[in-house]
Amino acid sequence: MQEPKIKFSHVTKQFETRSQTILAVKDYSMEIQPGEFISILGPSGCGKSTLIRMLDGIIDTTEGDIFIDGVKVNHKGKKMPAEVLRKMGFIFQQPNMLPWRTVRQNVALPLEVFGLKGPEWEKRVDELLEMVGLTEYANARPNEISGGMLQRAGVIRAMVHDPEILLMDEPFGALDELTREQMNMELLDIWSKTGKTIIFITHNIEESVLLSSRVYVMGTNPGRLVETVTLDLPRPRTLSMITQEKFIEYRQLLEGYIGEIDLSKIK
Amino acid sequence: MKTKSRITSIVAPVVTFVLIFVAWEIACRVTGVPSWFVPKPSEIFHSMVVDFQVYLPHILVTLQCVLIGFLIAIPVGLIVSTLITSFPLLNAAMSPYITFLVTTPLISLIPLLMLAMGYGMSMRITVVVIQAFAVINMNACTGFNNVPTIRRELMQSVGASRLQTYWKMILPSAATDIITGLRLAAIFATTTCISVEYNAGNTGLGSQIIKYSQYMKTPESFACIFYVTIIGLIMYALISIIQKKIVNWQE
Repeated sequence: MQEPKIKFSHVTKQFETRSQTILAVKDYSMEIQPGEFISILGPSGCGKSTLIRMLDGIIDTTEGDIFIDGVKVNHKGKKMPAEVLRKMGFIFQQPNMLPWRTVRQNVALPLEVFGLKGPEWEKRVDELLEMVGLTEYANARPNEISGGMLQRAGVIRAMVHDPEILLMDEPFGALDELTREQMNMELLDIWSKTGKTIIFITHNIEESVLLSSRVYVMGTNPGRLVETVTLDLPRPRTLSMITQEKFIEYRQLLEGYIGEIDLSKIK
Repeated sequence: MKTKSRITSIVAPVVTFVLIFVAWEIACRVTGVPSWFVPKPSEIFHSMVVDFQVYLPHILVTLQCVLIGFLIAIPVGLIVSTLITSFPLLNAAMSPYITFLVTTPLISLIPLLMLAMGYGMSMRITVVVIQAFAVINMNACTGFNNVPTIRRELMQSVGASRLQTYWKMILPSAATDIITGLRLAAIFATTTCISVEYNAGNTGLGSQIIKYSQYMKTPESFACIFYVTIIGLIMYALISIIQKKIVNWQE
């Protein structure tokens, strides 16, 4: 068996607030193979966003190890080195564009910071803009384009430095249903063409079944892994699959897990 | 339509301006109120034009004091606010004293500063700098502290250094608040400068307002007040130009 692209080994995260200690993630382990598309599903407050922020060096781990390509990447109190960060692209829940930059300048931000210059990178920005249909809006300011377009810009900004891993934090959660479905299909298309490893965070059961090969279900109080469900559904996935029997079975299975967590712990 | 509304936006305030002064003029003439009490606008404008040579040195003194003080306060305010919002220890050590500086009425310090530094330009500029600095610093700190977490995370996710994060993200994110600070500081600088001139020396428009009032030369006093207004307007226009040049986006 080949080495996992990403490995979480007994990762724990505690947040200290003035009044209490919150156990955001408890003893979390998982292994993701290169080129896999997996989702992490759970209600809000289950620590799923914390997981990918630890992976991307935005927040420290309290205990446990995270490996990328077999190399330990989390070192307490130390900034993650640029060569590790370059392997990842982070897509936020909001478009998170810098309003003073044009769409193109926003997309090119990681290149500036990573120090990637030259015509080949310029060409890459153009190609990505073209891929998501933003070429004619390249010089527009973020406040001049729609929410769907902004989120597309957010997706290609995370891809511009050619990372091997995409970390998506409920990326389409703020969009309307129709746009979200369309974005999901575009994402599957991008994934099948580029073969990137994708971790997709969501609280939407249908979305997790439609997109990924495996779903990690998380529970709250403390945030922890409840169940891992491997989805045996054919690729390429299409929206019409949603009504198929097998899809509905998986959906109900996951609803069952989520329902148990919600009812017993949250309410 | 657009040009029409632009014309309206210029013409309407001018009409208001004319109407106010015409009403004022008529009221003075009809009631026959004495000039030392409420002067006619025509008298004031007449004095502003005819005695311009007399006022000019004082205008220049006030303008110089306000401008130099303001221009020194900008970099000092931005550097101090950047440092204290970047280093929590520095913030903890400094913030009570900065609050102290903002809340102490500077005018109350003027007699002491006069004792230490005399009546000259250096004392006046010092007072203006302290006042403008306090306002600029306070607003810039607000701006730096209100940078959205998600933007910090974006910069972290691409491994930006402290300096890159500051120049590419924090400073522009705070720009709107910084400009607000500059605008307020410009007003405070002018007010403070006039207050100092009331108390110190016999140059500057503030000293002239006092002098003419004491001689009951109210039209001349008003002429000086109007020149102060014009200085305030110049400062305000300056900031608006800076704003249009630098902060030309919408959040």
